[in-house]
Amino acid sequence: MNVTALSTSSRPSPPAGEREPAAKNRALSGFLGSNIFGLIIAIAVFVLLFGLFANGFLSKVNIYSISRSIGINGVIGLAMMTVLVTGGLNLGLGAIAVCSAMVVGWSLQNLGLGIAPSLMIGVLAGAALGAVNGLIVVTTRLHSFVVTLATMSIFFGTMILLSGAQGFNALPRVMTTFGRIRMYGVVSPLLLIMLLVAAILYYIYRYTAFGREMLAAGANPFAAKLSGLPVERLFVWCHALCGAIGAIAGVMASVRNGAVVPSMAGPLGADWLLPAFLAPVLGGTLLTGGSVSVIGAILGTIFVEIITSGLYMLQIGEFWIQTALGLVLLGAILLERGRAAMALQRSTRR
Amino acid sequence: MNLIRNALRADSLGLLLVVLIGGAALSLARPEFLTAYNIDVILVGFSLTVIYALGQGVIIAIGHMNLALGATGCLVAVAFGGSMQVWGLPVWAAMLFGLLIGTFCGFLNGWLTHKSGLTSFIITLATLSIFKGISLGITQAQPFYGVADSVKAFGSDRWGPLPETLLVALPIVIGVALFLGKMIPGRQMLAFGGNPNAAELSGISRARMVILAHTLSGLLAAIAGMMSVARLQLASPAIGDEWLIASFAAPVIGGAVLSGGHLSVVGTCLGVLIVSLINQALVMLAVDPFYVQVMLGALILGAVGLNRLRESRLGNAPVLRLS
Repeated sequence: MNVTALSTSSRPSPPAGEREPAAKNRALSGFLGSNIFGLIIAIAVFVLLFGLFANGFLSKVNIYSISRSIGINGVIGLAMMTVLVTGGLNLGLGAIAVCSAMVVGWSLQNLGLGIAPSLMIGVLAGAALGAVNGLIVVTTRLHSFVVTLATMSIFFGTMILLSGAQGFNALPRVMTTFGRIRMYGVVSPLLLIMLLVAAILYYIYRYTAFGREMLAAGANPFAAKLSGLPVERLFVWCHALCGAIGAIAGVMASVRNGAVVPSMAGPLGADWLLPAFLAPVLGGTLLTGGSVSVIGAILGTIFVEIITSGLYMLQIGEFWIQTALGLVLLGAILLERGRAAMALQRSTRR
Repeated sequence: MNLIRNALRADSLGLLLVVLIGGAALSLARPEFLTAYNIDVILVGFSLTVIYALGQGVIIAIGHMNLALGATGCLVAVAFGGSMQVWGLPVWAAMLFGLLIGTFCGFLNGWLTHKSGLTSFIITLATLSIFKGISLGITQAQPFYGVADSVKAFGSDRWGPLPETLLVALPIVIGVALFLGKMIPGRQMLAFGGNPNAAELSGISRARMVILAHTLSGLLAAIAGMMSVARLQLASPAIGDEWLIASFAAPVIGGAVLSGGHLSVVGTCLGVLIVSLINQALVMLAVDPFYVQVMLGALILGAVGLNRLRESRLGNAPVLRLS
């Protein structure tokens, strides 16, 4: 069993579109049946529906606010994606994000440091907290679920104790106005930050040995270990990456709010869990590890934000939106399974 | 040394010592700890927590998890309160309605998990927001106040020195212990949790086990949800919000292994007691409530670390991921 596993994982299958030319047709039909194609269609359909029936959905203000939420929630989803690679997860993503944003606020207001060094410290703090998770996961070999369940309350509780639950509301004007910039009247710069983060991740996973190694380690840790990869160290890096990107999301949310608020992600930062999982899962990132889809995660976020905003415009009440998002997640999972089962059936028949 | 090793191996002895020493230390530091009122507060809290902790425990026993536990309790609480206030149902009918809803929610989790073949984490994350959204949508985030007087009385009445809620909780605890310890479906569930493939090969149905465990979890969440209504004297859609951490902490402190196959009911009870002792200590020593969060987190880490140590002594292979 190990031998076969080794051979498949040491030669990770090339991503769609890079396959040998003979399989071009299959690649095309693969694309037509992929999450990405499905999401594009779904996004188009819902934009059309909401554009027709939801008053004000296509107004400049609303498009701007959608672009802002896509920016923030996209980064949250990408952060979770980096740790889903390991086959694990990070329940404490929201907690880490809030903690890091608080560090940035503290460094700006209490230490009086400039914006750039403060942001740097914040991202490093996020990476450090993520690395703590990673280190505990690999040394104890416990599932990251229970480790991050414990550390989320440790991190969040400690942050509240240290800060006295007081936020930082005297952010420099540059940061608060940055959150209000409207490019071409409809695009928030937060969206561009998300695209930048996504581009970096895309590059890492597709073109660097480090990224490929993370994927290989996540796909089959035992095989990767046998083929000489430092699996433990790679897993710690995955968790650190998650923390660092989480920190960016925390700062972005603070920029939108105009202040660092300890409760911005709900109790223990748990309110971010749904957006964090929705985007990568809708986009086709496997929870079993070893796969990512950066473009899928972005499309997943766009889809979720369009649904959220459209339902909001239809005035069905914000609480029902939560129900709808849960149904979307459930539907996407089941659809994906159904498609996988059908594909299997078709291939066995052939 | 041998004694310590044996105590480490036993699920409950060490925990009992922790509870006793902790209780003794607390009563020395704060004599008012041992007042009847205070013990009553602890017992009422215990009766509620132990039910939802077991609700998580039966899921942990098959190596799954139920994030929607609190949301199920919340939906049941809202249905329970709402059916009394809006529909004017009698208490027994409202209770039956609540139990049905909770059982159905649990069944849905189990059925979806089984059908999709995915981890229960993502399924229950989805149903968490569905159930929670429905509860908030129905109530518009306002509690139902029209709870019947008999329900309110149940939440505050005493039977001798004991709160009435404990009299409901104890039979449930014993029932779950008997179910897992003596009854065939319970034993099958543990066997399935320990090694799903081996269990399936020996004729235990995967579908039945997954659905049974999740349904049981939904049922326990329903009971806990209605007990919360009795305790708070209203049906608030915030019920269940803070169950998640404690629901994992108690079974895990009690020696449950997250990869499944093992759940100690006595250990879980002691775990709940430890959690409530910490809560109480921090309240009495007037420290910041957020210390509770930090302590609980540290406790979970310590407990799972200890379990892992014990597990590796028993020679179980380390598990890197939940499937």
